[in-house]
Amino acid sequence: MKPRFLTICLKELRETLREKRTVGLLVLFTVMYPVMFGVLMQQLIDRATRSEREGIELAVIGAGKAPTLMAQLKQKNITVRESAALDEPAIEALLQKGKVVGVLRLSDKFTENYAAMRPARVELWYDSAAEKNGQRREVEDVLEAYGANVASARLLAHGVSPATLAPIQVQRYDTGTNASRSAGLIGGMLSMLFFPAFFCGMSAAVDSTAGERERRSMEVLMAQPARAWEIVTGKWLMAGTLALAGLTLELLLAHVVLGWLPLEELGMSWSLNWLDITLICVVGLPLALLAAALQIALAMNAKSFKEAQSTLSVVLLLPMLPGVVVSMMELKTSLWMYAVPMLSNQTLLREVSKGVEVGALPYVLTFLSAALPTLAVVAFASWRMKSERYVLAV
Amino acid sequence: MIEVHDVRKQFGDVHALGGVSFSARDGQITALLGPNGAGKTTLLRTLVGLLKRDHGTIAIDGVDPERDPLSVRRNIGFLTDQFGLYERLSTREYLSYFGELNGMGGAALKSRIDEVSDLLSMDDILERRTKGFSQGQRIKVALARTLLHRPRNLLLDEPSRGLDVMSTRALRRALSSLREDGCCVIMATHVMQEVTHLCDDVIVIAKGHTVAQGTPNDLCRRTGIQNLEDAFVSLVGEEGIAA
Repeated sequence: MKPRFLTICLKELRETLREKRTVGLLVLFTVMYPVMFGVLMQQLIDRATRSEREGIELAVIGAGKAPTLMAQLKQKNITVRESAALDEPAIEALLQKGKVVGVLRLSDKFTENYAAMRPARVELWYDSAAEKNGQRREVEDVLEAYGANVASARLLAHGVSPATLAPIQVQRYDTGTNASRSAGLIGGMLSMLFFPAFFCGMSAAVDSTAGERERRSMEVLMAQPARAWEIVTGKWLMAGTLALAGLTLELLLAHVVLGWLPLEELGMSWSLNWLDITLICVVGLPLALLAAALQIALAMNAKSFKEAQSTLSVVLLLPMLPGVVVSMMELKTSLWMYAVPMLSNQTLLREVSKGVEVGALPYVLTFLSAALPTLAVVAFASWRMKSERYVLAV
Repeated sequence: MIEVHDVRKQFGDVHALGGVSFSARDGQITALLGPNGAGKTTLLRTLVGLLKRDHGTIAIDGVDPERDPLSVRRNIGFLTDQFGLYERLSTREYLSYFGELNGMGGAALKSRIDEVSDLLSMDDILERRTKGFSQGQRIKVALARTLLHRPRNLLLDEPSRGLDVMSTRALRRALSSLREDGCCVIMATHVMQEVTHLCDDVIVIAKGHTVAQGTPNDLCRRTGIQNLEDAFVSLVGEEGIAA
């Protein structure tokens, strides 16, 4: 003889899975996120490593007028592509193709002015929207160095020390790495990996409570020989199963995608093995169940599907809160974070992906921090369903 | 056997039930007559233990629904004013669900579903999903659910609404056979013809009070009016109807 809550759970599950459109959307969302995550990361990696791999390409109009400058550009690993005279739209079109970092145009009177020691004009055309600012700066550095060299030579010829021109000397040290630049972004994206826990069970939770109430079948169900806690538990487990399935599927997919990407290029790591990711999934179980319990407890009080949906979309923002607060206040990882549901899972995943040996305590805390409130919420929902006010409005 | 004595129920300032007493015997079909808002739904919900009474006693086969709602509900078939079908389940799946909730299962449940389906002549819709069912088909499915677990007591809220002549006859046959089996049937209805044809006993309530109980003939004799409908109106009083 099946326990009644299981009967209810299986029936709700069957009903939900028959709604093809909802299920399709959930699967799409769950699968799309890790894939999008992967594509975005791939682009980040590409961009960060592009200049090293490909070098910089620069189109030059009138290259023959300044052979020394061209030689210095080539020394800095900048590929010079000589080009015939172009007008403005043609330059724009060339830049839009994205192959070259910029177009260098030496003016017609360059040689004449240079020889006469008048400022010889060099035009640098670039597209600031193309996100090649780092490469452009390299070109500009070469141009500046070239100018400074010529100036020094001319001053020397006049018997003046070139040092006069440099009252201060600026030496730049850049401690930023690609990793630290993208760490914030990636941290945020890792946190997002836990959202299916809240997303996947939601419409089923709403449909089986507020929806059932709206269709007036709740009264029939409540008049059956089943206790309130059995009804609540059945519906909760159903929503929890969906949330858990979505979360696990997504985490495993993310694990495959991230393990595949050359993250080391960004100075990042995804040093999780299959055991780690399994443990992460296991401690994700109470999170999925907590999300389902909260949704059931809230949605059962709404009189219609629509009402419940609008209440719950506000609640959907709640799990984002701890993560946002922590990143805004730039808090260091500490033990208390493992006692806050959702935040604990995010923190744990971040630490483990960095390869930190966290020990058993964070896992236990993460599990309990979601499991205990879950039981409380289910108990509350059962108590609520038994109350006369609820029966009256059914 | 359902015995109700002086049951009162108050919601805030509203006296939904102000003192209802009656007894419905086994092997009889008892009609529950009352104008809209007389407290029928509240009464039925109190009988299955969904609501707690403020005063009075209820015994269903000797058991108080407040004390032991689960065993009372196992012996009650409750047809509410809403059918509560699930559109994405077929009739058979729907019936299996409620059968399992009532502790049935396996081959016994399967054969019982076929039995009920025969009784209500609904074989044609047994394997179909309930979405798009006509009113008559819906009420048949709901009625099948009510009868499925062989309850000794039946509480039916307007079971014949929306049924065509053939289905009404099928329903009457089903109810008559339940009566022969010795079930206790309480049926809320507004159709006087049905009461005269089918019911052995009539309870009239208005404004949360029992106004009268007796056979249809008793009521006519007591009011001195031949027609049951007119007798009902005179029992309830004009103000009862306005409420």
